[in-house]
Amino acid sequence: MRAYYLLTLAQLRIFLRNRQVLFWTLAFPIVLMVMLGSFLGNGSGISLTVAVVDQDKSEQSKTLIKELEKNEAVSLEKSSEEKSVLDQLKNGDLTLVVTIPKGYGSNLTSGNKADPFELPVYYNETNMAMSQVGLQLVNNAVDTISKKQLDYQPLVVTDSKGVDALNLRYIDFLVPGIVAMMIMSNNMNGVAGQISSWRERGILRRMQGTTLKASTFIAAQITARFMLNGLQAMIVLAVAWLAFGIEVRGSWLTVIAFVTLGTLAFMAIGFIIAGIAKTPESAGPIAGFLSFPMLFLGGVFFPIRDMPEFLQPFVQVLPIAHLSHALRETMNVGASFLDLGMEAIILGGWLIGAFIVASFTFKWE
Amino acid sequence: METQQEIIKVQKLVKRYGNFTAVDGSEFSVHKGEVFGLLGPNGAGKTTTLEMLVGLRKPDEGTAIVGGFDISKELDRVKEVIGVQLQSTTLFELLTVEEILHLYGSFYPEHISIPDLIEDMLLTEKKNSRIKGLSGGQKQRLAIALALVHDPQIIFLDEPTTGLDPQARRTLWDIILRLKDRGKTVVLTTHYMDEAHVLCDRIAIMDQGKLIALDTPSELVKNLQSDSAVEFKFNEEDVDVILSEIDGVKQVGSQKDVHVLYTDDLQNTLMSLIAIASEKNLKLVDLQTRTATLEDVFIHMTGRRLREG
Repeated sequence: MRAYYLLTLAQLRIFLRNRQVLFWTLAFPIVLMVMLGSFLGNGSGISLTVAVVDQDKSEQSKTLIKELEKNEAVSLEKSSEEKSVLDQLKNGDLTLVVTIPKGYGSNLTSGNKADPFELPVYYNETNMAMSQVGLQLVNNAVDTISKKQLDYQPLVVTDSKGVDALNLRYIDFLVPGIVAMMIMSNNMNGVAGQISSWRERGILRRMQGTTLKASTFIAAQITARFMLNGLQAMIVLAVAWLAFGIEVRGSWLTVIAFVTLGTLAFMAIGFIIAGIAKTPESAGPIAGFLSFPMLFLGGVFFPIRDMPEFLQPFVQVLPIAHLSHALRETMNVGASFLDLGMEAIILGGWLIGAFIVASFTFKWE
Repeated sequence: METQQEIIKVQKLVKRYGNFTAVDGSEFSVHKGEVFGLLGPNGAGKTTTLEMLVGLRKPDEGTAIVGGFDISKELDRVKEVIGVQLQSTTLFELLTVEEILHLYGSFYPEHISIPDLIEDMLLTEKKNSRIKGLSGGQKQRLAIALALVHDPQIIFLDEPTTGLDPQARRTLWDIILRLKDRGKTVVLTTHYMDEAHVLCDRIAIMDQGKLIALDTPSELVKNLQSDSAVEFKFNEEDVDVILSEIDGVKQVGSQKDVHVLYTDDLQNTLMSLIAIASEKNLKLVDLQTRTATLEDVFIHMTGRRLREG
């Protein structure tokens, strides 16, 4: 028992004294999260850049511009030169160009109802989707003005009520993925590298010469790594909360349960790699060979449903896919541990399978 | 020596690696309280023998009784009564001397006082230093401290002084002799002659996996039946001289172009050698004489030196 306690303590001391490793294993996920989160995190709304060329400069044209500005999705640019803004439109810098020709105000006041005034709106045909949305917005604004002009009384109105549903942003998707990635790389790559290097340097052999049991050594490894991982996951979640207001909607216990399962499963895989790798130098590339596909296919950065069809069966068995999915469901949706039974079973399967393989491939020297 | 109680009994140990037989049926006993040396060149099977005795390698044939327990059946009991220092062991470099001693102490049911052990191994000044920053001699003393942490009866040291400077070697010799004074049995491997001579009560000479001699250092030298050695080279190649016919020569040991003549009558042998050399117009180079040592025992038995080059 004392050996277990002291070995855990020794491993934690080694972690804490190895400042560089400690810093970079933590800095990488946080920097990645902050960068991706800042660039892509709030990408749910559409923003349209519309240029208005007011050639009329009347009371009525100003009303129209105000009406256009009302829409939050539109950022309006006023310009006097039609030609330069049309060039910008062609280059894709603008979504739409609205020109208010001379005579717009006088035409409205004269009230020629039979022959409506034509307002030219230019759009870029190569970007139809955005253009359609923009045209719709301009139409709405023009419609409002037409109705005012006619003292139009609507017979039927829509009553749109926004439901406060889960408004998930990319950052909500990203944070659980980053936590899963950190668990994978710290454990799989960390265990593979450390154990193979300790073996190479004879540290394990020397311990084998004592009455220390392998199970005590492995239990202490697991405990120390779990404590460190837990701490790192908490730091990442705290940064996510401070920087992006991400919170855990589900139970913390479920999060901890999956962090534990993930830690154990990836440690076991790490022990397998340490067993296979003949030198510490080869442990890194082997771990990289496994972790890179998992990073990109396992639902860390992109949803798994976006993967091509033929990859789906492969992706569905990756342990990281289930870890990131389970963390995401708990944090974003608030799923309980029971809702995530399937994920728990698959991760548990990886854990048991990998430990069985590891016990065969593991060598003290 | 006074009790002659057998504490280690090695019975026909064999270890093979593929076609290569690293240890070929070694048999010997170690007495309680003695310093026992395994001497031989690199690759002679010293380390393999030692590693089998401490349970790090499984023998292919044979077994050994260490401290009253069979290494192939009761390894856990064996590990309780032995302390091990392995060749070029690295330790957790980021821990301090004191921390790692407490850690290794916890691997055993009981351990001795850590501060006393640190004091004994002359590491008091360094007890709060990280292992990374220790000198070679300090690291080696720490490795021996780790072997002693559970107060074992038998201590195995694998080349404890290899790579140390002369000062650090002498410090380590003192430590090993103090262990003997306390009644510990020490088994060590070395390829240093002087070390074996100073430290060991008995020496087993190994070569190519076989035990070729076992005796006290003075008996081994005595068995050469010669007091002096004459060592020299000829400047010329392909020399047609029958060295054993030189006056007083009892044995000839030659290795490559270096010749060694063993004799009890140094003066006669030298005069005869010089006379033959002048007669045949040969030039003697690097001529030296010395008293015969363990090195000569080894050269005599194997025709090779302990350390090549």
